[in-house]
Amino acid sequence: MNHSLEERIEQLKLKNATQKMNAFGRLLVDNREMSLWEHDTKTLSWGVRRWRRKALKFSREYIRPLAPQADLHPHDYDPKPILAAAARHGFQTLLLVPPLGSASIIPYFRGTVFQVAVVGEEFATECGGLALLLLAHNLGMAPLLLSGSLRNIFRQMIPFYLKSHILGRPECMAFAITEPGAGSDVEETEGGAKAKLITTAKYSSELNGYILNGQKCFISDGAIADKVTVYARLEDEGIESWTCFLVERGMKGFSVGRSERKMGQRASDASELIFDNVFIPKKNVVGKLRSGWANNRNVLNYSRPVVGAMALGHGRGAFERCLEFCRRTNLGPKRLIEYQDVQLELADMAISLWAARSMIWQSCKQFRCYQSGSASAKVFASDTAFKVCNQAMELMGDHGYLHSNGVERLWRDSRLTQIYEGTNQINRLALFEHHLSTDFKMPVE
Amino acid sequence: MDREPVAGICAEDVTHYQDLARQYAKKSVLPIFQDEYSDGNLSLLPDKLKTAFEIGIAAAPDESLAGCQYGIWGGALEETGIMPSVLLLSVIAETCGGIAMCLHAQGVASNLLLGVKRKLPFIPVRAALCLQEGFCPPFIGTVISPDKDAPAKITTTAVLKNNKYIINGSKSFVYSMNDVDAYVVLGRVNDQWGCFLIGANEKGVERTDVGVRTGLRACLVEHVRFNNAEIPPEARLDDGDARELVIRALNLNWTGMAAIATGIAKGAAGAARKYAAERYQGGTQIEEHPAVKMLIAGAEAGIASAQATVFSLQDSSLDSLQKLRKSAAAKLTVMELCSRAVTDCLQTFGGYGYMEDFGMEKRLRDVTVLKSASGSPTYLKQIIFDIEKEGAL
Repeated sequence: MNHSLEERIEQLKLKNATQKMNAFGRLLVDNREMSLWEHDTKTLSWGVRRWRRKALKFSREYIRPLAPQADLHPHDYDPKPILAAAARHGFQTLLLVPPLGSASIIPYFRGTVFQVAVVGEEFATECGGLALLLLAHNLGMAPLLLSGSLRNIFRQMIPFYLKSHILGRPECMAFAITEPGAGSDVEETEGGAKAKLITTAKYSSELNGYILNGQKCFISDGAIADKVTVYARLEDEGIESWTCFLVERGMKGFSVGRSERKMGQRASDASELIFDNVFIPKKNVVGKLRSGWANNRNVLNYSRPVVGAMALGHGRGAFERCLEFCRRTNLGPKRLIEYQDVQLELADMAISLWAARSMIWQSCKQFRCYQSGSASAKVFASDTAFKVCNQAMELMGDHGYLHSNGVERLWRDSRLTQIYEGTNQINRLALFEHHLSTDFKMPVE
Repeated sequence: MDREPVAGICAEDVTHYQDLARQYAKKSVLPIFQDEYSDGNLSLLPDKLKTAFEIGIAAAPDESLAGCQYGIWGGALEETGIMPSVLLLSVIAETCGGIAMCLHAQGVASNLLLGVKRKLPFIPVRAALCLQEGFCPPFIGTVISPDKDAPAKITTTAVLKNNKYIINGSKSFVYSMNDVDAYVVLGRVNDQWGCFLIGANEKGVERTDVGVRTGLRACLVEHVRFNNAEIPPEARLDDGDARELVIRALNLNWTGMAAIATGIAKGAAGAARKYAAERYQGGTQIEEHPAVKMLIAGAEAGIASAQATVFSLQDSSLDSLQKLRKSAAAKLTVMELCSRAVTDCLQTFGGYGYMEDFGMEKRLRDVTVLKSASGSPTYLKQIIFDIEKEGAL
């Protein structure tokens, strides 16, 4: 039989060639036609899969239409409606299981932040700023949960959750560790020991509480948060006395300073918080006194995979937009996507994203997140995302840098993930530190 | 102050050009950034560009203006080589890549006009080059063999009718200073390249701003559409085939962009060094931290390589294909080296690098735009390969 080249190519495709196998052989070949996203989703347990689908729908419905304007004019949009919508859909209460929170029960105990990470990726594909706006709330909430204090969980976390989950109130929390003179220092052991911290808490026996003074900077959601978990050293002591305090909006002496002008993730504010003799009642101490440093480092262990997932979302968003561009743009007689060099580049981007996703999912598939796993996932995912965003921009040529195409926004957004939650250099050191007594043990003389 | 060892140009001239650019950057460009504008206060830009014409940095086709010969890509290019322009662009870009791009775009268009021996219908002061269409710059050969299964064809055409050329088509991503007087348009006349001078306000010329962009915001970027625009035959710049002008335009464009990227990266490295000496973390200046040292040293090594690559373009004819291959390769590698250098320098600032205060995020945005603009890496690789292929040209 004489077949044309096209027919022969068609016959050789795995799906068609499989028909020549026997029934058992055919069963062992996965010929399901589904997207990259669907393939990955199918590997998840039912509970997590449900959140992934829900988050995709939410991000397309709520985040996508708001994203371009929120990025261009961050001060001219009201974040409350989207916070309320996210709360109603249960996205703001994923750190606890029903009836107190909304996370799927079995997956939660297999990986506490896995569901948050999956949601984070979906949100970030549409807009880094709005994703941060919604997810920074979990970061602010995490110290209450990870303090291990039932007092804090029952008195502060659960009432907040119930208001959010049941009433759909757009309330949110923020997490404040960074100080103007101490950025990386508060995210790494050696730096912490030498850090010059200005935020201090002084005990007042008269008032039966603490007087907080100092300043924090670059606080995500700082300007809109109803409550902030703030870390401060106790008076006349060093960072080893770091204690977490719950500061509430409206407390006398607590104010928001300048809001930073950022390159990307602009829909979420990064604000300066000022504490001028703020009285903190004893009940607002989170966990035990002087347990703040451990609490802070552990919060970072839980949050870094989520930051990695957000970075991955930026990369995926750029990839998807670039793919769409290649589908609809002609170069000479053919669509861009029909050129082999373009196909190679697109495939490379998809492979990079898949590797990053595998790493993130692996890093948070346990009940307790650990330092080296979280740091590695964050570093790899954020570097990969920035690389993929660059590839997408380059592939689109001059169209890549136009705001209207959306890729440049995700490129700007992705760059921040290499900096916050510890710069990627600090995260590399975190991996080293975690295994200092095992893999990286110093030689004994 | 460093003195660059540059082949083909004496040390005094190097100093002269660098000093001139430094003075301009300090007195005219820097004041734009004194208020809280990430890309500078662009309302001050017209005045600053006017100064560039006055002191002779900006080239212009008008021989009565100071920069006509020795401005960036001015008429003396054949005599001096590319180096003076490269030095000027690079030093100005250390302060602002966008303004350097304005001067570069003006220079490229002016250079093509200055090469014309015959009398033109009018002499513009500000001009811009219209070369690119749609997705990327042209693949040189496609206008010669329009029926070939080539990836791109020039669709802007000029037809001679009643002793007038009628221009139709559209050009994309035209870089210019604001308020250009004319466009230098490269299009197709039958199966050959033609180059035309068209007044910006001529009937049939429509200009559209491309909208919000990542960087180089001081420089205007437009799409220009020609809808039966009529021009006299004297406004044709070539003598029957403008292929050499296309090659020259691409050569100048890529060389200049590589020089600007090098300047941006040098500015970033300088700022990172300064910040690293001032900022304390972990009880010491951050320049004492190996992580920071590695970032800055790596960036500086990359910049040195990039600069050497740009300087190596000095000795060859701007109209040759071999030079085009070299400048395409230079743009490809220099952009990669410089964007890596800028992002590493930004990283040394931590969170402050991402904020607008230190100007690092602007440098990253600018250099990233340069990487994709007027020939993305994929396109450049294609053209580097194709130049060697018989028949493609």
